[in-house]
Amino acid sequence: MSSDSDHNDDRHARFELRTLLDTSRMLIESHDLTFVLNNLLLISMGKLFSSKGTILLYDPTRKQYQIARNKGRTGLNDGQYLSLNLSEQLRSKSIIHCDKDNDGSLPEPFSGSTMCAMFNMQTSTRHIGYLCMGGKANRQPFAEHELNFIENLVNISAVAIANSQLVSELRSTNLQLDRRVQEMHTLFDLSKEFNANVDLEPILKIFKFALLGQMFIRSFFFIYDRKDADPQVVVQNGIKGHFSTDEVRQLLNVRQDVTRTSDSLRQRFPLLEDNGIEALIRLRLQDETALMGVGKRATNESYSEGDFNFLQSLGNLALLSVQKTYLLKERIENERLEEELSIARTIQRKLLPDPIPSIPGLQIAATNVSSYQVGGDYFDVLTRDSGTYIAIADVTGKGIPASLLMANLQAMLHVLTPTSESLSDATSRINDIIYKNTPSDKFISFFWSRYSHETRTLTYTNAGHNPPLLLRSGSGEADLLAEGGVLLGAMPSMIPYKSADVTLQKGDIVVMYTDGVTEALDETEEEYGEERLQKCLLCNASLSARDILNAILEDVKLFTGNRYSDDITIVVLKKN
Amino acid sequence: MSSFTIQSRTSGSIHILELNGELDAHTASHLEDSLKSLIEEKQFNIVVNFSRLDYISSAGLGVFMAYIEDVRSLGGDIKLSNMSDKVYNVFDLLGFPTLYDILHTEEEAIVKFTI
Repeated sequence: MSSDSDHNDDRHARFELRTLLDTSRMLIESHDLTFVLNNLLLISMGKLFSSKGTILLYDPTRKQYQIARNKGRTGLNDGQYLSLNLSEQLRSKSIIHCDKDNDGSLPEPFSGSTMCAMFNMQTSTRHIGYLCMGGKANRQPFAEHELNFIENLVNISAVAIANSQLVSELRSTNLQLDRRVQEMHTLFDLSKEFNANVDLEPILKIFKFALLGQMFIRSFFFIYDRKDADPQVVVQNGIKGHFSTDEVRQLLNVRQDVTRTSDSLRQRFPLLEDNGIEALIRLRLQDETALMGVGKRATNESYSEGDFNFLQSLGNLALLSVQKTYLLKERIENERLEEELSIARTIQRKLLPDPIPSIPGLQIAATNVSSYQVGGDYFDVLTRDSGTYIAIADVTGKGIPASLLMANLQAMLHVLTPTSESLSDATSRINDIIYKNTPSDKFISFFWSRYSHETRTLTYTNAGHNPPLLLRSGSGEADLLAEGGVLLGAMPSMIPYKSADVTLQKGDIVVMYTDGVTEALDETEEEYGEERLQKCLLCNASLSARDILNAILEDVKLFTGNRYSDDITIVVLKKN
Repeated sequence: MSSFTIQSRTSGSIHILELNGELDAHTASHLEDSLKSLIEEKQFNIVVNFSRLDYISSAGLGVFMAYIEDVRSLGGDIKLSNMSDKVYNVFDLLGFPTLYDILHTEEEAIVKFTI
């Protein structure tokens, strides 16, 4: 009998050894966690005649246990996390007998009613978790050899679990690495394509495809906050509704680089809520910013830090390209404007007399130096039967608006002369037209005169212009030709403009000029002034009209250090 | 510059696009145009044969993402077939196979439309 039972025990032991050997081989070879856990649980339940068992795996990052595998009626669910705060004494045991070892630190369902024993799974370096077994179906206690067997099995399994965890960690690391590599490819692919494109539309389209293809992002928007312009949504996909400019502005107040949208933020911006926008990514490049909002991914994966890094890189790349297209558009626009300006300049040049008509008995020299492409200075010399009209004018302001008004005045003079009207009546008419044509802040200072060769008389009207200088031959001081009235365009002609006559003698000189001459500044911001002009005129009075004009220009140039900031127009008459 | 061409043919009521060369950010719009015109012609049952596609980038993948939902909502589908391992790896890496039908052969893809 005893030899039989010895024999039986021997067979039993061999069978157990064999099971352990097979299992260990299988487990070590398998890197499949599910398989390892299933085996451990099923073998243990079979061996112990237990109808329930659970495997708890310790998650060191959460400092909690996860229910990794669960069989029978344990009241636990797979995947669930729970905290076990076991006493030091329990933790040091390799087997915890739930009933008799319970020192109060065992929570339900491990305190004894459901579970019977907990086997500590550990490798030489770390704690893996617990195998928790319910009691035998026949309510007998576990035998010593059964516990030994499970202990051995648990030790082998712990190594296998650690291995498979390592392998799955490696796999996931590898997958992450592969994805990062793919992300690099995407950024490279995109930067190549962005560089090759100068139009906004294809760039935004590729950006959309990259977000879709790489990140599975179906709904997103991209707000570009351009310097000196209203922020605007430059591209969006799958977004229901429309952002108002006000909302866009408020959204741009988000200061963090990456914001996971909170409930309160979603409440403030219903569009974020309606479109399931999960994160806002702020992008900055030089002094411009952009804001990208991304919705749920089609794969339902949440966004990781790495994903945000990629989105930031992609967003910056897009922002750079968007900026580039705007700058390019601006440059093309500027070039077009430049071209138009240069055409305008050519037209304006043609509005000035060239060559200046020659008049018997009178030398005329005139020049217009423009510091802008187009300006508001004007002079004219018109030969008519009734005499020669000599005019000079200066429109307030500069550039295109001034040049338009100047052209307007030029046309009027050409149509109005010859006129049988007196200069003063004609000036009133011109003033009324200019007054009607121009905004209230635009005026023209205007001086014009008619020279009669027969009578050698210069009749003039001065409408608010810098009074021309009349230097009589041999005189040491110039007279001012100031008779007339107010600036053109300031008010309707209620008070008639006056006119005056001067008879020119041999050697008499008249110098007409615009304020660009007398208001030319030197380095200390001092004006050239009328006094210097008179002095220059006196010094050069013996010269011809052309040489006097050159002398004045030279003097102004010297005074300013060769940098006039305004238009300069000078007309010099000298009686032969 | 990358070269990319598309051959288009039909098999019964199914439209087949055969891709050749490299599908990347540069050539993505070409594929987009083809898909768009099929949708305009109300051809919603589409098989894309990848047998001669050497390379695909994420932007290329994005084109499928952009249109597959539209086609599905119109009662059709875009099914993908004959991918080389290299091309399939990109789809797999990004998680495409869980969302869309990728089949070994064009015939299998066509049959799938009839079930």
